[in-house]
Amino acid sequence: MATPNTPNPNTPRAVEITVGYKALSPNQKDRLEKIEVNPAEGDAPPWDALTEYQTVGTDVDRTDGMQKATGRAKYAYDISFPDLQQAMILRAPIARGILKSLYLDEARAMPGISAVVALKKDGSKIRLVGDAVAAVSGKTLDMVRDAIEKIRADYEAEQHNVDYLMDEEAPMLDANGQLDEEWDEDSKVDKALADATHTHTGTYRTEVQTHSSLETHGNTCRWDGNNLEVWASTQATFGVQGELARGLGAHNVKVESVDVHAEFVGGGFGSKFSAGIEGLACALLAHAAKLPVKLMLDRHEEHTAAGNRPSALMQVRGGIDKNGKITAWDWRSFGGCGYNGRGGAVRYPNYYMGDAATRRKHKDIACDTDPARSMRAPGYPQGWFGAEMFLDELAAKASMDPLAFRLKNDSEAMRLDQWQFAADKFGWDKARAKKNDANARYVTGVGCASARWGQLGRHGGRRQSYGVTCRIHPDGMVEARNGSQDIGTGLKTVLQILTAEELGIPASRVRGVTGHTSDPLGPASGGSTTTPSIAPAVRHAAFLAKNKLIALVAAHLGVPEGDVTCANDKVGTKNAKLDFTEACKLVGQTPIEVHGERYPNYRDKPFHPGVCGAQFAEVRVDTWTGEVQVTRMFGIQDCGLVIAKKLAESQVIGAMIQGVSYAVHEQRIMDQRSGRMLNGDFLRYKITGSKDLPDIECHMHSVANGHNNTGAAGLGEPPSTATAAAIGNAVFHAIGAPVRHIPITPEKVLAAIASK
Amino acid sequence: MSHPPDHGVSRRSFLKGSAVAGIATTGITAATKAAAGPPVPESFGPGEHEITLSVNGAKKRVKVETRTTLLDALRDRMDMTGAKKICDRGACGGCTVLVDGMPTNSCLTLAMDAVGTELRTIEGLSNGDNAHPLVKNFVTCDALQCGFCTPGMVMSSLACLEKRGKPTPEQMRQDLSGNLCRCGTYGRVMEAIDKTANGGGK
Repeated sequence: MATPNTPNPNTPRAVEITVGYKALSPNQKDRLEKIEVNPAEGDAPPWDALTEYQTVGTDVDRTDGMQKATGRAKYAYDISFPDLQQAMILRAPIARGILKSLYLDEARAMPGISAVVALKKDGSKIRLVGDAVAAVSGKTLDMVRDAIEKIRADYEAEQHNVDYLMDEEAPMLDANGQLDEEWDEDSKVDKALADATHTHTGTYRTEVQTHSSLETHGNTCRWDGNNLEVWASTQATFGVQGELARGLGAHNVKVESVDVHAEFVGGGFGSKFSAGIEGLACALLAHAAKLPVKLMLDRHEEHTAAGNRPSALMQVRGGIDKNGKITAWDWRSFGGCGYNGRGGAVRYPNYYMGDAATRRKHKDIACDTDPARSMRAPGYPQGWFGAEMFLDELAAKASMDPLAFRLKNDSEAMRLDQWQFAADKFGWDKARAKKNDANARYVTGVGCASARWGQLGRHGGRRQSYGVTCRIHPDGMVEARNGSQDIGTGLKTVLQILTAEELGIPASRVRGVTGHTSDPLGPASGGSTTTPSIAPAVRHAAFLAKNKLIALVAAHLGVPEGDVTCANDKVGTKNAKLDFTEACKLVGQTPIEVHGERYPNYRDKPFHPGVCGAQFAEVRVDTWTGEVQVTRMFGIQDCGLVIAKKLAESQVIGAMIQGVSYAVHEQRIMDQRSGRMLNGDFLRYKITGSKDLPDIECHMHSVANGHNNTGAAGLGEPPSTATAAAIGNAVFHAIGAPVRHIPITPEKVLAAIASK
Repeated sequence: MSHPPDHGVSRRSFLKGSAVAGIATTGITAATKAAAGPPVPESFGPGEHEITLSVNGAKKRVKVETRTTLLDALRDRMDMTGAKKICDRGACGGCTVLVDGMPTNSCLTLAMDAVGTELRTIEGLSNGDNAHPLVKNFVTCDALQCGFCTPGMVMSSLACLEKRGKPTPEQMRQDLSGNLCRCGTYGRVMEAIDKTANGGGK
């Protein structure tokens, strides 16, 4: 028992750390400050802005890069077994109605068919073209396709609508595509607008974008008694585990345990949180067939029935005072959703509005299509496009430079530094001042937009905190394991780098392992939470393992543990050191194994509650054809501590390329008559390719936030918020008229030029 | 763009042949006999036939149906899962293999069509930790994220290098234009090609 004189070991002790960042360029200042934080007892001591790193922030190669580049990496789609059965889903051809009857016997009797399961009962509702009706497994996909053709399904079709703007709840648009409805009264906003020096109103639209992960959704399932093993293309291993156990129980299939593997995942971008009907179907087929089954969606199914970023219609009116400060901001938006009428909410950058009178209204509208799923910063790229483009139009009314206008209104100090740094790198002043020849066929323009996201990681799920297993093997190899998935973001490399840093060894000695639910709990890869959630547990695990190794070495050398350190691949004191691999031999036959825990973030206010970024784009527009080519981009992005620099850059550049795609290429095209998607393939659903690629540069801005022992923040989504908006503004600059509707296709550009 | 040389059964001649059933097999057999390479079955009906493919310098026997694509044969029947079926329409390049040196969409090629050709796949570019410099440069340039398009990207990049030696950025864009990447790796793929062309990764 603790006596009154002994400090309670559970009382956290305050530690002073330095947070912030060093000057981005010589003409800026260091933004460093000291704060007090209270780490949990036993946690690794916090790293901060003054920490000198050996491996963190360097260009370590992606740890699973060789497996991927040699084709050896096994994705769910690549898993194979003797007797593996291939499977497909029969999908409804009507957008709305009832499944009247389903006849499966003929399909069952086809050659090579191992199982057929109904996924809907007679009388079930059909909600979209592509609703899953039944599934078939067999020896080859060709045989399965033959059998699917033998299924008879009768439907009773009902009137459908696949265009949310045709819904009776949708607002009216005028001939110019501007929202044409009165605003409700609001005394504060109305007064601010009346008092404003300049006001402006604009309607902005975005279209449905499909995630287009290159590996489609799907799984390979194998039963052993009542135990199910699943190789899933997922961004939520633990989510799939729970969902399948529940789903199979609901189908009266006895399941004692589900093990999920997702060692390699071919992209997700927010669409792969659920096992989905394809996951359940695969498990049911494998159960019925008593053989392993693989069920991967084909590309058309992926486009039509595996989620999307919903479309948005936004109208903004706003005003500024004579100094260029925003004084009024009135926003109303509509989300064009799938049949469940959810997921269309949009956000806008609210750090520009200061004390302005603001109002925000939103409404989701349903139509008979595939429901929305979260997609890389859900709601952000839509809202940022509307808001940031509105800012440029407002600035133009006041004859202000868009960057100067942002510098005046942006309330986030960190981004003010970023704006200036990035504008210099991009050459904004010169590019913005460049005048296009009035008669030139090709015109150029530049634009900018901000990026924002707020994710500093979570400590765990509802019942359990996240964790990491660290093992130091007697041969000198170190393992760091977590059950979450690396969907291409680099989580394995993050495990590797942080462990190497803590142990003072080269990264090549560490193996980062992810994607098995037998390993400690981790989050779904959504909301840019994976790295910020897991990183502190990686460090804690490595810290605990290090202390165990230090104890062994201290005993071996006959020195106090406090004198022993791990650094430069050696363990020991100033005078007596062992090579790390020599030290590991002291471990004996069984490796050191420890469990690192993810403690909650320090309660103290961090340096910054989220992450900031800024992007600049240059476009070239062919005024004869209306074609837009994005020629150059520069982005600066913070993500707290930059752990794997090369990988972080890849992710930012990749988000910008996806943004180019969103701004000028991508659009789901629905046929109102049949209710079908007309371009559900990669021939007609255009995504950015090598010839559309701008010259892209990015700068990773490492910031010590002081929110936990590592200080990593989310990175996947933030850079995707800004790109389409920056490109929209660049097109506005180039042609002198705004195209307020993405994708910015040639016909919209020509119409905008004609409207001048 | 030129097309790979025709080897025996083309998709078109096969379709034409199957329309008139037995009689047409004579025509197909004649065509295959005219092509250089190992003997192929005398006739094609429903069900599987054994063919021999030359993959990465090794002769491999595999049973395929007449409709089996080269991609399905490699992946499902020869356990070579590097090439990916991403679009199944020749639109994404994820299934790219080299057929007599030409980058080819294996999802649009019948396995039987590949009889008598020299096939090169991603699996042929490494042996344990010993890999082609291009493969190493993909890793050091971080020319991959999720990695799913990567085998196809590597094969198209290899064809680009073999054809052009030191390709310009414009030539690289041209030669990669059949390959889609959703993560956005194009720029770094071009860096990897450039680094390889300049002797890096050896």
